[in-house]
Amino acid sequence: MSFSTFVTDKDGLQKLYEAIISKHETYAPVEKFGKYDYKKVSSLKECDPDSPIAMTMSVKPLFFPRASKIMKYEATSAGTSIHETGQDQLSGPRVILGVKHCDARGLQVLEAVNKWDYIDSDFLNRRANTVIFSKRCDKADTQCFCTSLDYDLENLDALDVAVVSGPGGKVYLQARTEKGENFLKENLGKESAAGSQQALDEMKKQYEAFAASFRLKMDYKDVNEKMSKRFDSTAYEEATRNCVSCNTCAFICPTCHCFKISDEKIKDTGVRYKSYDSCNNVYFTLEAGGHNPRPAKYRRWRQRSMHKFVYYKERFGVNLCVGCGHCAISCPVNISIFEVVNHVAAAPMEV
Amino acid sequence: MEALLVPSLAKIDRIIQETPDVRTYRLKFKDDSISEKFSWQPGQFVEFSLLGSGECTFCISSSATRKGYFDCSIKRAGVVTADIHTDLEEGDDVGIRGPYGNWFPLDDIKGKNLLFVGGGIGLAPLRSLIQYCIDNRGDYKDFTILYGARTSADLCYKEEIEEWKKNTSIKVVLTIDKPEETWKDNVGVVPKILEEVVKPEIANTKVITCGPPIMIKYTLQSLDRLGFAPKDVITTLEMKMQCGLGKCGRCNIGSTYICKDGPVFTYEQLKALPDEF
Repeated sequence: MSFSTFVTDKDGLQKLYEAIISKHETYAPVEKFGKYDYKKVSSLKECDPDSPIAMTMSVKPLFFPRASKIMKYEATSAGTSIHETGQDQLSGPRVILGVKHCDARGLQVLEAVNKWDYIDSDFLNRRANTVIFSKRCDKADTQCFCTSLDYDLENLDALDVAVVSGPGGKVYLQARTEKGENFLKENLGKESAAGSQQALDEMKKQYEAFAASFRLKMDYKDVNEKMSKRFDSTAYEEATRNCVSCNTCAFICPTCHCFKISDEKIKDTGVRYKSYDSCNNVYFTLEAGGHNPRPAKYRRWRQRSMHKFVYYKERFGVNLCVGCGHCAISCPVNISIFEVVNHVAAAPMEV
Repeated sequence: MEALLVPSLAKIDRIIQETPDVRTYRLKFKDDSISEKFSWQPGQFVEFSLLGSGECTFCISSSATRKGYFDCSIKRAGVVTADIHTDLEEGDDVGIRGPYGNWFPLDDIKGKNLLFVGGGIGLAPLRSLIQYCIDNRGDYKDFTILYGARTSADLCYKEEIEEWKKNTSIKVVLTIDKPEETWKDNVGVVPKILEEVVKPEIANTKVITCGPPIMIKYTLQSLDRLGFAPKDVITTLEMKMQCGLGKCGRCNIGSTYICKDGPVFTYEQLKALPDEF
């Protein structure tokens, strides 16, 4: 199915953004101390949908919150009662402006695990109720490697509207989903629809310059195959010795989705939460009897790396890592998963 | 997602002190309509909440062929299980989600000789299948239960074992690790008794085993030596689990979700997994 492309200029884009912010619940990159996070905004002045550098946080918490209430309960001598907290009440579409392609791909990748068998309807509802405007990067940041990992420009339907700047101050707004198409028609009117091919050509041209700016490149298929054959490699230990197990990498990753369930009870009432957890956490697999299948740090790193580059692909047909580089940028001891998996892939086979 | 994680309330009907550190909690849902819908297969598990302490994964240790209740046999091991043993009394409420996971391959074991090999609290998941098979006794040939524990006091389900012994169509072999004055049955670890006393028939036999990791390790070696094919040996894994829905990532081994694809696996399937359990 092909969708419309709308042509405007920078002023037109600003006006559109302002109109969106005034009408809808809108999120956009907000800078604080040089770091960028997607925050709720009430005017265009507060945010920078054109943020020039890689985001510090991913867009994930808007779909998979850091902590959410499962239920409240009361347990007294008179009896026990449970009160469901229920799903969020989303009224009309909310909009996220300036979403990086890697972040949007993270959401697309996460659909697989949220859709198989038991369905996470909260995640899917939030997806369905959100319109994502992209921000295509002009060049790669130091830790970016998204183009090495199944980056398919033409079929990128993780974003609803691609924003492409063209020659002579032109801006193309290319709808990439039905949701994006409807949203643009409602907000821009029909008369400006045109230039679908120009937008695509312009995107391709810009993509070439963008792709050439990458410091990090990998042959993903080769790394995936080599990692599968090096499960017992000592390379994991070598590459991750400095890790302090702070779990920052998992919390800011656009695709890490492990969680834990915990109770907080004061006197007779309590709340049960679902919140982020990480396979890098030593307690993650520790059993009550004391047995831990992954007692050593390098084993937990192996799980993280293999899950990102081998297991998820094996199970759901898509690579879990999207190459955003968030983890490497925020790691306090400068460990990069790019370096870890390449180090393992380059290691000699165990005999 | 969050709605799927909300448990239903069940009342503790009875608490049976099995051993000094194992108790069986007999449970009934408070809402009759949930009770009617709740059905499970031997080998499946539930998420059991003591509200305020947390949620733990326990197998259902009774069979759905015994109507009106379900059992969870809980060993005091960590924080939540200690609270369960200390705080819960008959008549108290707990939260239950489930049943989750796969179950013992009921079609594959039909018409076969059955050999159950259990150790300690590992008899809990086997008990569900044992009860199921006793209630459908005509579907199976020889029926042997080998069960061991460190001491005679550590044997679970003592009353029920006496009933099994009285059942002439079941062979029950008990063992404890070290001799005790009043103990008249076998003495020695489970794998040793398996090879020296039980001496099972290999042909047409399915082995179902569960116990502490060390027992499983040597039992699998013994079964190998005796000539059992890995596909005829069935066990159930104990991984730390939390959601039971194939989402939280805790029980991942390779690309397998133990809570969805398991917990029941054949030895053949286990051999194909990375050694991380």
